[in-house]
Amino acid sequence: MLDHLLFLFSEAFVALRRNRLMSFAAVSTVAVSLYLLGGLGYMYLRVSEYAERIPGQFDMRVFLKQGTTFDQIRETARAIRAIDGVREARHIPREIAWRKMREQMPKETEGLENPLPDAFKVTLSDLSKAGHVREAIGRLPAVEPNGVVYDEAARQYLDQGLRFLRWLGGTLGGLLFVTAGVLIYNAIQLTILARARELRIMQLVGATRFTVSMPFVIEGMMHGLLGGALANLLVWASHVHLQDRLSSLQATANLGSYPVGLGFAAFCGAGAAYGAVCSVLSLRKAMRQTT
Amino acid sequence: MELPPSPSQPLVVFDQVEVKYAETVALDGVSFEVQKGEFVFFVGKTGAGKSTVLKVISREVRHTGGRALLNGRELNGVRPSEVPLLRRQMGIVPQDFALLAGKRVWENVAYAMRAVGASAKEVRRRVPEILERVNIGHRADAFPHELSGGEQQRVAIARALINNPVLLLADEPTGNLDPEHSIEIMELLAQLNVRGTTVLVASHDMMVVELMGKRLIRLEAGRVVPPVEGMGLA
Repeated sequence: MLDHLLFLFSEAFVALRRNRLMSFAAVSTVAVSLYLLGGLGYMYLRVSEYAERIPGQFDMRVFLKQGTTFDQIRETARAIRAIDGVREARHIPREIAWRKMREQMPKETEGLENPLPDAFKVTLSDLSKAGHVREAIGRLPAVEPNGVVYDEAARQYLDQGLRFLRWLGGTLGGLLFVTAGVLIYNAIQLTILARARELRIMQLVGATRFTVSMPFVIEGMMHGLLGGALANLLVWASHVHLQDRLSSLQATANLGSYPVGLGFAAFCGAGAAYGAVCSVLSLRKAMRQTT
Repeated sequence: MELPPSPSQPLVVFDQVEVKYAETVALDGVSFEVQKGEFVFFVGKTGAGKSTVLKVISREVRHTGGRALLNGRELNGVRPSEVPLLRRQMGIVPQDFALLAGKRVWENVAYAMRAVGASAKEVRRRVPEILERVNIGHRADAFPHELSGGEQQRVAIARALINNPVLLLADEPTGNLDPEHSIEIMELLAQLNVRGTTVLVASHDMMVVELMGKRLIRLEAGRVVPPVEGMGLA
């Protein structure tokens, strides 16, 4: 059995070596397809991660009525935290807010009594629920009429942008997934058709379907594996390049480090799976024609 | 699938066999029997149905009517998963030699053994022996394109014999050869037949066929017709 497996693997590797041009075509097709697909997927993941962090940067300010008691403040805090879409509600006592203001604007505040009310800084967990949170907070009895301050336009703009990116990622990703499959299938089918003679000879000498198929499937997996590794290197290089560009522009956004090992595992795994599936599908067609 | 020895019954039986493709009738009620150890030529013009007869026996083609038996078993009854096992009982020499261009002579022959599960050790022992038997041992390391037509045919025959088949099917084995090499190849097939292998050859090379003096089955437009002495076939 081991001897036979060695034969199947050696046949696959000999074919890889001897059919360099077709192998190159298949590997490069897999690499480009997975680079586009994987690159987009990676970008999508990063954008999603960023989107998770962004709501914190769009805090809501809630001002309470003058003379609100400590119990009312505590009750209001509890009510705000219970609203769906609220991650955190932090009380800002009027004394602390006034002290900060006096530090920042000493001349303007000199000789004045503290005019500030108690307030809350509310952090959202989901930007799309901002409207609902704002309304719910505005209805609370201790909250000043029009006491909820929030940049709705900026929030909506960002929310729409993120939705569009998610939609683009999903749609383009889906299309690329199918296109990559078709390209890889065609590339592997070409390598198999170029060796239809070999298939016929194997069948004539009485090789079983398994023996006939395996070298081609192994070869397809190797094409996918190499293409996947190449795609990972390309995505990694793109990541490093983009990170350098962002650094040179002194942008606040940071891509973080690229997960090289995970990338190799994911790209090579996807490539090998693609290669195996496409080989099996191509072989079914080729074997129907040669048997 | 085994072909158990059964001396009383013919090895191949065709009984009113028909093969129809979409619009074409390739075999139209063909009947004959071949006993074990026989050497039989199927002769006829191009398109007469000679190759189709061999393809029905090797199960490359399924007959659409009549009965075709190999060692008593109906060939259409052989399941697809059993076809490889059926083919291991026969050696097939295709018209175009079907050698792998990227493999050396010994690799081409070894490949047929390895593909059916023989060990590397077994291959090392058997391949030189079979190459010597068909007089091509001295070109073991050559690639097919470095060989003459006759030498390529010898390699194809060596490959067909490597798994000790009881039946050898050769489709136009001299079709691409000059008369001298054609006779050499036929003599080689005759030697194999003397050793007990049943040999079925499709050929339109009447000069060689008549020289061999073996049994003839003549086909014309998919039917078996009586042989005509001294006939010239295109």
